[in-house]
Amino acid sequence: MREQVLEKASGEPLQAANRELTYSHAIREALQLAMRRDERVFMLGEDIGVYGGAFGVSDGLIEEFGAERVRDTPISEAVIAGAAIGAAVTGMRPVAEIQFMDFITLSMEQLVLQGAKMRFMFGGKASVPMVLRTPAGSGTGAAAQHSESLEAWFVHVPGLKVVMPSTPYDAKGLLLAAIEDDNPVIFVEHKLLYRTKGHVPEGYYTVPLSQSEVKREGRDVTVVATSIMVPRALEAADLLAQEGIELEVVDPRTLKPYDADTVTRSVCKTGRVLIVHEAPKTAGFGAEVAAEIVAGEAFDYLDAPIRRLAGLDVPIPYNRELERTAVPQVADIVREARALARGEY
Amino acid sequence: MPVPVIMPKFSMTQEEGRVMAWLAAEGDVVEKGDPIMEVETDKVTMEVEAPESGVLRGVAVQEGDVAPVTAVIAHIVLPGETWSPKSVKATPVARRVAAVAGIDVGDVPAAGKVRRQDVEAYLDKVRATPAARRLARAQGVDLTAVNGSGPRGRVQAKDVVSPVVVSPVVEEKVAKPVSTMRRTIAERLTQSYQTIPHVTFTVAADMTAVTELRQRLNAREDAEKVSVTAVLVKVCAWALGRHPLVNASWQEDGIHEHTQVNVGVAVALEEGLIVPVVHNAAQLGLGAIAAQMQAVTARARNGRLQPADVQGGTFTISNLGMWGVEQFTAVINPPQSAILAVGRTSKQPVVVETAVGDELVIRPMMKMTLSVDHRIIDGAVAARFLQDVVTALEQPDTLLW
Repeated sequence: MREQVLEKASGEPLQAANRELTYSHAIREALQLAMRRDERVFMLGEDIGVYGGAFGVSDGLIEEFGAERVRDTPISEAVIAGAAIGAAVTGMRPVAEIQFMDFITLSMEQLVLQGAKMRFMFGGKASVPMVLRTPAGSGTGAAAQHSESLEAWFVHVPGLKVVMPSTPYDAKGLLLAAIEDDNPVIFVEHKLLYRTKGHVPEGYYTVPLSQSEVKREGRDVTVVATSIMVPRALEAADLLAQEGIELEVVDPRTLKPYDADTVTRSVCKTGRVLIVHEAPKTAGFGAEVAAEIVAGEAFDYLDAPIRRLAGLDVPIPYNRELERTAVPQVADIVREARALARGEY
Repeated sequence: MPVPVIMPKFSMTQEEGRVMAWLAAEGDVVEKGDPIMEVETDKVTMEVEAPESGVLRGVAVQEGDVAPVTAVIAHIVLPGETWSPKSVKATPVARRVAAVAGIDVGDVPAAGKVRRQDVEAYLDKVRATPAARRLARAQGVDLTAVNGSGPRGRVQAKDVVSPVVVSPVVEEKVAKPVSTMRRTIAERLTQSYQTIPHVTFTVAADMTAVTELRQRLNAREDAEKVSVTAVLVKVCAWALGRHPLVNASWQEDGIHEHTQVNVGVAVALEEGLIVPVVHNAAQLGLGAIAAQMQAVTARARNGRLQPADVQGGTFTISNLGMWGVEQFTAVINPPQSAILAVGRTSKQPVVVETAVGDELVIRPMMKMTLSVDHRIIDGAVAARFLQDVVTALEQPDTLLW
């Protein structure tokens, strides 16, 4: 099975398959379950307490767990990251929030130079069991400084894990797995996904880190998509199915460690690949996906050049039309995948 | 202006020639009249002379490659002239591909104007996907022979699974290149078999007398060795003289009975076969026939045949007896009207009539099958011709008649 149900929270039975939650609610439920289960788990971030977080993810949590465990912080991303790392080294399991991924730039020294390296530099005697949640992505008209997708930076840093869920189900299961993990995990959420709904079982379950998932099976073109691009790829697949073109949509879910085998198997089947992500194309995560395909078993099965569809190499514009143009939309995926399927590349 | 060296046309029907060897290399100084290359046509190998004195440049056809007649295959740069590859004709795409690859488009061999395919062939590059390459490896498919259905002719997996070979230029490169000779054989045999209504007649001859005759003749120290084939040439020439319809050609205006009897003998070569012709065979003795056959066969095996050696045949003998073949049928070599396929001589039990009744004896027997053009030759004509051949073989002194 694609997920492991490790434990049920307080003996409650898992609910019927039709239980639907939003992505943000699923994350809140994961935080709730983790904090109920383990008193070492606590949250810190800007406006996450009384205000409930900039996107309402932690709404109501301060009422249940109190200000000690749902801690509002000063507006200092370096402090948030540094305090989380310090607490984790002492044995706590903090879940920090950076309000917009853009501001993670201020946390870089703590995350990259300190948190990522401690376990290695202390010969395994220290570990840093923390999660840093942060919303990324454009589409809200928030312009260049509140719309970035910076996941590739962290993928490049040894010692960090990077998770990027695309569905409410994955968001909950992956967040619980990230909190269980003894390494620092960058957990990248997407602003536009917060309101999307999907099936989420009640109770405690985890989705293992480093397990890509085939979100839709198809024979013609493999679409490797991350985060918001997964629902867009699925929508494109519905449209192309009417033309008789079957897309296979693969969601890596965890970018690091990356499960390349699932993509390899898919490419061996379809022979054609379209890689889609929102972050700018140049040196984006798609380059890594492409490199793994070309360097590995799938090479001999490629029947067309690998295509990458990604954000333009520009800061996200404020103008709504330009903002849409700067990142891949459903119509773009349809166009590219159709050309690949027809052998027009 | 540099003087072009073209693929010469040696005979009216020749459409292409193969450069067997360059006797002068790119950059060599050549004198007018010097042999600069050897060219093989469907029949002969000829030397080609330099049309002017100068320096050989722009050799565009490699040894072993074929060019259509009149195609420019090199240039002679006259004294005082400079050779500029820009005079090479090439399509703009070919020039661009060559420039990207860092090669001189003038170095690319091509029959006529250099095209993109020529450049890619020269680069040994085929546009193919990794999946197509994998399938081609697995199935032993030559990708250069596959017509790609992808953008700019890229070969895709489905093209290898069901290869579509369309371009004749590409087709020529299928695993084993086809020699001029093989192509000629293929065309002639197909045309013959499809247009001439063949019928065949098989007879057996007692070869006791021929065997004794050859033993006597070959015991002479001063003589050429006489083979069974040489005897057959003599015997057939004699019989053809008595049956003009077997020595004839079907033409649009009617049946042409030939005044000469020129017997061709199929000779196997590595590349295929060739049919040296013994002209006026009826007038020649066995020794002369044997000597002429040996000389022509030797020239055929060396690729030095003269056009006259292989032209003008009016009848053909194909003898596979030395390979142990019992009997077979042959396809008529047009415009001839008949061909005799000869099997081996082997000892067989034969019933002979004697004064005291039938007797079972052992005799060296040889089977022959005559294929005839039924438009010209009726069954009875073929039978009477064969009857004469058998009689002459069993009683060679008939030839003295």
